[in-house]
Amino acid sequence: MYAPLLANRYLTSRIIPFIAVAAVALCVALVIVVVSVMSGFLEMVRASGKTMTGDVVVTRPITGIPYYQDLIKEIESLPEAAAASPIVETFGLLQMQYGTGDGGKQIEMVEVWGIDPASLDRVADYSRKLYWSRPADAALAAMAPDDPLRNPFYHREADGMRLATADGRPGLVLGIEISPFNRRGRDGAYRTSQAPGAPQDADYFMPNAGKVILTLVPVSEGGSLGGERKRDFTVVNEFQSGLFQIDANRILLPLPVAQEMLRLDAAPMVSRTEFDEDGRPKVIGETPGRATTIVVRARPGVAAPALRDAVRGAYARFHERISLDRSMPVNPPFPDLVSIETWEERLSDFIGPVEKERELMRTLFSIVYIVCAGLVLAIFWSIVQEKTRDIGILRAVGASRTGVLWIFLRYGLLIGIAGSIVGVLLAWAIIARINDIHNLLGTAAPAWLRILAWVATAAMLGLTVRGTLRASALHVVLWGFGTAAMAVVSVVLLHHEGFLIWDPSVYYFSRIPDSLDWHTAWTTMAGGIVFSVIGASVPAARAADTDPVKSLRYE
Amino acid sequence: MNMLLEADHVKKTYRLGRVDVPVLRGASITVGEGEWVAIVGSSGSGKSTLLHLLGGLDRADADSGPVRFGGEELNRFGARRENRYRNRDVGFVFQFYHLLPELTVLENAMLPALVGLSRLRWISERSALRKRAAELLETCGLSHRLGHRPAELSGGERQRVAIARALINRPRVLLADEPTGNLDIHTGGGILDLLAERHAAGLTMVMVTHDAAVAARAQRQVRIVDGRVQ
Ligand SMILES: Nc1ncnc2c1ncn2[C@@H]1O[C@H](COP(=O)(O)OP(=O)(O)O)[C@@H](O)[C@H]1O
Ligand SMILES: [Mg+2]
Repeated sequence: MYAPLLANRYLTSRIIPFIAVAAVALCVALVIVVVSVMSGFLEMVRASGKTMTGDVVVTRPITGIPYYQDLIKEIESLPEAAAASPIVETFGLLQMQYGTGDGGKQIEMVEVWGIDPASLDRVADYSRKLYWSRPADAALAAMAPDDPLRNPFYHREADGMRLATADGRPGLVLGIEISPFNRRGRDGAYRTSQAPGAPQDADYFMPNAGKVILTLVPVSEGGSLGGERKRDFTVVNEFQSGLFQIDANRILLPLPVAQEMLRLDAAPMVSRTEFDEDGRPKVIGETPGRATTIVVRARPGVAAPALRDAVRGAYARFHERISLDRSMPVNPPFPDLVSIETWEERLSDFIGPVEKERELMRTLFSIVYIVCAGLVLAIFWSIVQEKTRDIGILRAVGASRTGVLWIFLRYGLLIGIAGSIVGVLLAWAIIARINDIHNLLGTAAPAWLRILAWVATAAMLGLTVRGTLRASALHVVLWGFGTAAMAVVSVVLLHHEGFLIWDPSVYYFSRIPDSLDWHTAWTTMAGGIVFSVIGASVPAARAADTDPVKSLRYE
Repeated sequence: MNMLLEADHVKKTYRLGRVDVPVLRGASITVGEGEWVAIVGSSGSGKSTLLHLLGGLDRADADSGPVRFGGEELNRFGARRENRYRNRDVGFVFQFYHLLPELTVLENAMLPALVGLSRLRWISERSALRKRAAELLETCGLSHRLGHRPAELSGGERQRVAIARALINRPRVLLADEPTGNLDIHTGGGILDLLAERHAAGLTMVMVTHDAAVAARAQRQVRIVDGRVQ
């Protein structure tokens, strides 16, 4: 009956157990925070990897797939498929004009997607990726008062869905990171250089619907380059997929315009040998329009690989049917020459390294676990060392070995439980506020904080002086260290301009993942408790072996 | 007079590195029921060693004679019986009190009872036990100190707590190792008075001391010289 009494007393009447609890809590919190951010990151990578590609992607680059409308019908008739959308993919040069004159010319190499907004919306929620649209009420309420998105003037989802201006001119939708003068703030949030209500300044594309020039080069089936095609577009909206690489490189334009510029549109087919009365080559049919990519969305509950296999079957049937149909003069590419992949397969070079990184993190963290166990072991060792005499007394009044063992195991258990709970709460507090904390670090310290730091430094200096006057070495040492630390903090705050740790251009995402990975939390908590008990058990066993006579002989 | 505790030619040798240091070379002592025996001898003569053997805190050499308690041989005790012997059959008082600093006076006095009780019996006997410990502390002159920590007590008071602790389980013999060795004459005299009271009430006692004046309070003295009892 003495074990609980002593374990509780040892826990509450000295400082060492609090250090042990703090050590366990910090280790647990560390592991949970890092693994949570890492897992959240991977989740975001996976989720956004799917952005705008649906579940399965069919591609035949450059020359594309003729009669793609028939293929889409074939695919959409599959029970596994919910929707499919055609895309023309290529690269191009985007010339953006800032202000007037050559000095404001900016030319970017971009990935060009000709899309059909309505079907892409069914496949990949295109409308939700448009940046200049009305945010949800809750998001609106949380926005800064100067956020341009608060202004209904900039809600241009209709233009984005049409890919055209209100008066019918063809429009472009840019990835939100493409224009170098519409920048992210230090907090990672996107802001235009414009405040709402300010006089409209044509120097900036959005939200001013500026003009840009797009240059594309068609490639013939034989592989030769055609003359480049240049065309003016109006920027009608911007999109944010969440994946920095896409947002910084991709632009969207209407599918028919892209087909036309790349000579992938339907055109009359002429004979090389026969001529009509006017001496022009005779029209003998029509070459079909082409799409280089078909993106397909799975029905709810259908896994991407199952859909991929079904789409492969659909393509084979499509190929056979068209090839046999004499009314269709052009044959689609052989099934072997068309890549049909799930989005994960398509992004494997991208997801692979991140997954490897997570494995590496896991391995590294198993070392952290061992360090934690070692820490607990060291602390318990010193506790037991200090308690040798007590243990001798207990043994002398008849306590059994197991009884003594149990005191310290119980003690370890209590420390493990307390430390793990505190650690999880700490991790939760940090994770929930991680973006705020990051923003705080990213901005210069406010004046009041700087002043407060100096005041604290002065106060600690005063306490150090008082310690000297009272001849208290402990106070001098403690407050002396405090003064030095606060002085360093004050100087750092004075020069701190804010630094960006989570750079969106490196990490692809504008926000640090901020949801606690509960699975990790529970396992880490259990690990913290188990390691505390293991750390306690070795010194506890040593305690149980204490020879009462030896430990009691001398004071 | 019934024989209660008996050591018959016990030997104890300590090993110091490679050197064997024989401390007891066949020491014999008998303690009758109700007796108060003082073991005297110069410092380092092996008095404490003998007392530890009698109290079951240490084991004699393999070729030693037996230590008997009421006919039982201590050397043959298993771990359980040994713990019970230390817990219930003997009470130990040390020169340096050896109280647990985290526990209160009352809890220190109850410690052997706590050690001996299962959780269930503790729940049913808790209040009776508290009452008994408080009474015992009162007879030791500590009724006003129950909630204090040992660090807040004087040496004499601490030794009184240690005596209450040794008596809580109503042992059949009290073993005291220099109980006044760390106290001034006046305080030590108070402790000896307390022990004398318990002896008068029928308690068997074995007391180690190097002080002739203290030893004189006992009924009988034995002297250790050269590892043997004279
Ligand atoms: N654990 C030990 N290891 C080695 N020598 C010991 C040990 N314990 C006691 N001794 C030695 O045994 C001798 C007797 O000690 P002790 O019984 O304490 O004497 P006393 O109580 O009569 O002063 C001393 O010389 C002491 O140094
Ligand atoms: Mg001694």
